[in-house]
Amino acid sequence: MTSTDTGSTTGVRGPVTRARRSARSVLSVRSVRRVPGAVLVLAGALSPWASVVLPGGAYPDLATLHLFDAPHLVTGFRLHLVLLGLAALLPRAARPAGAGVLIIAFVHTAFLAALGAVSFGGPVALAGGALLVWQGRREPAPRWPLPGRAVVWPALAAAFAGLLWLVSATLTAGGQSRATNPHGGAEFLAFLGFAVALLGILSAYGVLAWLSALAERHRTFSVAVLLGCAMLLPLTGAGTGYWMTVASTIGVYAATAIGLNIVVGLAGLLDLGYVAFLGIGAFTAANLAHTVPFPVAALAGAVAAGLLGVVVGAPTLRVRGDYLAIVTLAFGEIFFRAAQNDLGGLTGGANSIPGIPPITLFGQAFDRPVGALPAGFLYYALTVLMVAGAMAVLANLKHSRTGRAWLAISADEDVARAMGVHTGRAKILAFLVGATLAGLAGAVFAHKLGTVGYESFDFSESVTLLAAVILGGMGTVPGAVVGASLLFVLPEKLREFSDYRLMLFGLALILIMRLRPKGLVSS
Amino acid sequence: MTRKSNGLLAALVATGVALGAGACGADKIEAAGGAGGCDTSKGRLVVGVIAPMSGKLSAIGLGIRNSVQLAVEQANASCAVKGYQLAMDAQDDEANPDKGAAAAQRFADDPNVVGIVGSYNSGVARAIQPKIATAKLLQISPGNTDPALTRGADFATAPKRQYDNYFRVVGTDDLQGPFNARYLVEKEGKKKLAIITDGKAVGESMATEFAKEAERLGAQVVIREKVNENDSDFSSVLTKVKGVRPDAIFVGSEYHVAGPLSKQAKDLGLDVPISGNDGLFDPQFIALGGKEGDVATSVGAPIEKLDSGKGFVAAYKKKGFAEGFGGFGSFAYDAANVIVSSVGKVTAKSDWTGAMEQREALIRHVQAYRTDAGANGTIGFDQYGDSVNKMFTVYKVTSGAWKDVLSDRFEAK
Amino acid sequence: MATLAQQLVNGLVLGALIGLIALGYTMVYGIVQLINFAHGEVFMAGAFGAHFAYLRLLPAGTPWYLALPVMTGAAVAVSVAVAVAMERWAYRPLRGAHKLAPLITALGVSILLQEVVRVFYPGATAPLAFPRAFAGGSLTLGPVLVLWTGVLAVVVAPLLATGLHLYVERSRLGRAMRATAQDPDTARLMGIDPDRVVLATFVIGAVLAGAGAVLYGVHYTQIDTAIGFQNGIFAFTAAVLGGIGSIRGAMLGALCIGLVKSLAGQYAWGGAQYDYVWVFVLLILVLMFRPQGFLGRPEGVRA
Repeated sequence: MTSTDTGSTTGVRGPVTRARRSARSVLSVRSVRRVPGAVLVLAGALSPWASVVLPGGAYPDLATLHLFDAPHLVTGFRLHLVLLGLAALLPRAARPAGAGVLIIAFVHTAFLAALGAVSFGGPVALAGGALLVWQGRREPAPRWPLPGRAVVWPALAAAFAGLLWLVSATLTAGGQSRATNPHGGAEFLAFLGFAVALLGILSAYGVLAWLSALAERHRTFSVAVLLGCAMLLPLTGAGTGYWMTVASTIGVYAATAIGLNIVVGLAGLLDLGYVAFLGIGAFTAANLAHTVPFPVAALAGAVAAGLLGVVVGAPTLRVRGDYLAIVTLAFGEIFFRAAQNDLGGLTGGANSIPGIPPITLFGQAFDRPVGALPAGFLYYALTVLMVAGAMAVLANLKHSRTGRAWLAISADEDVARAMGVHTGRAKILAFLVGATLAGLAGAVFAHKLGTVGYESFDFSESVTLLAAVILGGMGTVPGAVVGASLLFVLPEKLREFSDYRLMLFGLALILIMRLRPKGLVSS
Repeated sequence: MTRKSNGLLAALVATGVALGAGACGADKIEAAGGAGGCDTSKGRLVVGVIAPMSGKLSAIGLGIRNSVQLAVEQANASCAVKGYQLAMDAQDDEANPDKGAAAAQRFADDPNVVGIVGSYNSGVARAIQPKIATAKLLQISPGNTDPALTRGADFATAPKRQYDNYFRVVGTDDLQGPFNARYLVEKEGKKKLAIITDGKAVGESMATEFAKEAERLGAQVVIREKVNENDSDFSSVLTKVKGVRPDAIFVGSEYHVAGPLSKQAKDLGLDVPISGNDGLFDPQFIALGGKEGDVATSVGAPIEKLDSGKGFVAAYKKKGFAEGFGGFGSFAYDAANVIVSSVGKVTAKSDWTGAMEQREALIRHVQAYRTDAGANGTIGFDQYGDSVNKMFTVYKVTSGAWKDVLSDRFEAK
Repeated sequence: MATLAQQLVNGLVLGALIGLIALGYTMVYGIVQLINFAHGEVFMAGAFGAHFAYLRLLPAGTPWYLALPVMTGAAVAVSVAVAVAMERWAYRPLRGAHKLAPLITALGVSILLQEVVRVFYPGATAPLAFPRAFAGGSLTLGPVLVLWTGVLAVVVAPLLATGLHLYVERSRLGRAMRATAQDPDTARLMGIDPDRVVLATFVIGAVLAGAGAVLYGVHYTQIDTAIGFQNGIFAFTAAVLGGIGSIRGAMLGALCIGLVKSLAGQYAWGGAQYDYVWVFVLLILVLMFRPQGFLGRPEGVRA
């Protein structure tokens, strides 16, 4: 913090005094110092934003030209600003709330400026946010005792419901269509600011740590509730065919990324050609689609990919480190070329394999809507189950004897061997398990898309998968899912920025690695 | 610290108050935001675009997007759809079927979307078609040339309409490939032909149809090779081709492959004409190495020989887009105009709700659509959804520019 | 016979051009153990820098012997600027982090640079014609034709590689580099500033990439935003094949790739469509039997 903060100069005290101080601080002089910032934020939120009516129509949430005199009626980003302004009065919340205000105000002010409109509320809110960040204190989060069973279940259920709301709200922020809502891009980015602030406040009060400790202790219950929440997503605002399609695509890649996480995250074997396993599963299932039912085709895809995994894994017996990475890259390229040239007439070459029927179980085609649920819900449900299964496999392996062998190899292969680990067998097993998961995902991929062509399996897809694993957090159970979601949702939401979309995406990768080099979910 | 921050605070508060006071006198009512003098009281209808707007094909995709933008703005200016404002929503498919399918689903969910112009890649279209079939969302492609998309896998022997909501304004490979072959074999007397493709669907199927017709006419395809479109070095494959001494090389790809290929062939002493489809017909082909005597065929009559085509080119130039309209902009423009005109007919009877009957009515209007004043001349659709415009033109590089040498209607023999 | 000779020459030229990019990969990897996927974009940026210099800085009709040095200067300047910025702001803050974090950063940098050029460089949404700023025509050796630009590449690339080799062997900074590559901690104890050494490595890699970009441009007369990524993969493969960290190895690996691609396209099963497959098959075989590449040191104690 800055040297002007008197609190930190006298603040070298024991935990007891600190606790007493923070209990007192709501009433102390120090708390008054947060008030101007908060007031400015509130004032900014209720001031007019755009000075003119924009060519594409009024700015969202009635932000144009009039001073908002009905604070209880505010909506959208103004509501977020009001909420954050109020939250900033809490002692620990000032900094995260201020940061959120800064993001929201900056995004909207910049967007308006780009449209040629002067914002009144923007600079005021920006000043308030800056004041809050400047004056807020950074303190270690308090630790809360873990409660008894009576509190645990409602608490966890509430937490996951909140997570469900957050996911749904993030997906729907800014609306689906740029044509009907030209301000959608700014609304989405600003919503991210609000989400960051919320998580920051919860984290500052130790709530996040408390919840994750709870979830860790009651793992089975948490998984059940999480699964339930995931199944409820279609009932929220995000329950459109579009988001079901995107979400099931994410599911396919997440399951594949979990497989890769076993290879890279647990066993420490860098693989740059991993998408070939997804491809072999997809092509196998596509070829069998008209002759056998889906479960058989999926199984065949998984087995085929597993066998290829053993072949690709074989060089690990001799080749190590980055040299292994390039061997896997070579296998990936060979697969891509073979698929492009229709090796053995199995891939359709340039024409790809069209007309793969949707999965049909018990007379229900998966691409049709079920009842009031959107089209694509069944694929979504299937991929949720698949991802949950893959996560279970990963979690079990991680804590098993094999998992410890992998971790040992990952730390130092020579030492692991000296300790009596069968390194060769363990490494090939990693490839086998990982590839099988990817093959299974590939089978779903083929049916879901209805066509499989070589261009879905090029090097950049392997890179995306690897990025998902590393962004999420290597070796962690939810990491690959978080990473894959981010890598697919972000470009979809950034569509509003058309030309700058991939540029922002590249920038986001750099920034995330800079701020959290161990990934978003790190143990 | 107190004094310092109080000063800052005072300044901030003063700013806030001043800004707030300044705004107090402003209008309290939110305007809906009108456009021009047309009545747009019934809201906004969206023309979707799905095209590759990033990556290697972005020049084509951006040309498509801009041309649809132009058509939509012209329609708004002339109040083509009474009571509605039209808007364009362009989605980048990155030439990736999965991305294209997600974008199509997004449009299919949205009742305000009346139709899609896209995709460019036939591979993307294959993923889009089933996604929007149940929603009966209209799709008109400005660039898909794979015959199977309209007539099924047995398009030559047993054609069967695949989707009644799918149309296209470009000619298919099974017409253009043979047209190209007839010109090379009959008019230029080339008898030993080499084929080089880039492994993508368009090039492959065009080359296959080219080879069939050329052999029917008594020419010989002496070698067929494939290159990687991301390559820049074709010396190896051209050395191999040179070994069999062909009279001409048919290139099933786009100008970014064919241009350098033409130059490198000449550099290796293989000075024979390159021939290809509309993917070559771009000024960049010559800048990148296309040489005198190289040939490209393209759909429709030369755009600058049609008044309507000239109108499009002039209007596009006037808009001052950052990118040119590319090889497919004029088709996208025509496709968008088909949608605009047909939507106008549907909304003249009843307000747009996005209901299934309206979508089906829209498809019927598109099926019946016919004009001779498109940017590419005749626009209309046959019973499979293919363009009725079977006119093709041969262009040849002559003194450093494309020059049309022959326009003809193609009839299969 | 003529065909074989021509294919050998084709392979030689391609190898020389890939080699100059491979040197950058191998240098950076040798010092910081980072697969700098964005190095290809340094090369790409250099090519656009040269293009810009020719079209915007030089008067029309500048003879090639004046234009070429200016273009090379511009290419090198742009490449170096990009590489320094990348090292300073993207990689340096991550030093000491898990070794895969810089890899993702490299991918982010790669996407960012490609997109920045594509969106902001006029006309870069489509491939651009590169100025023909060198003697046209070919050198004729019996039945074999070699473009003069190809001759230039084949002459210049080994010269630059040799120069680099001598520099690393003889100069003070070169010694510091080798010391850092062998043992960074000891090198630091000896008073070597690792930040400076790493930066110098990026700069040297960028100089070679810039020079390579001009050679590439005048030879193929076409550039686009994807040339960096595509050629970068082959350059990286070449660096590994030759033994990563070895300068001679990188050139040898690149030569190998060029020759295998040329010859496989002509003679191997499957023809030109499988040419890169043979390159990668060779790579796998070499690494199976010689896991450290042709001239590399076996991976030892250093992880």
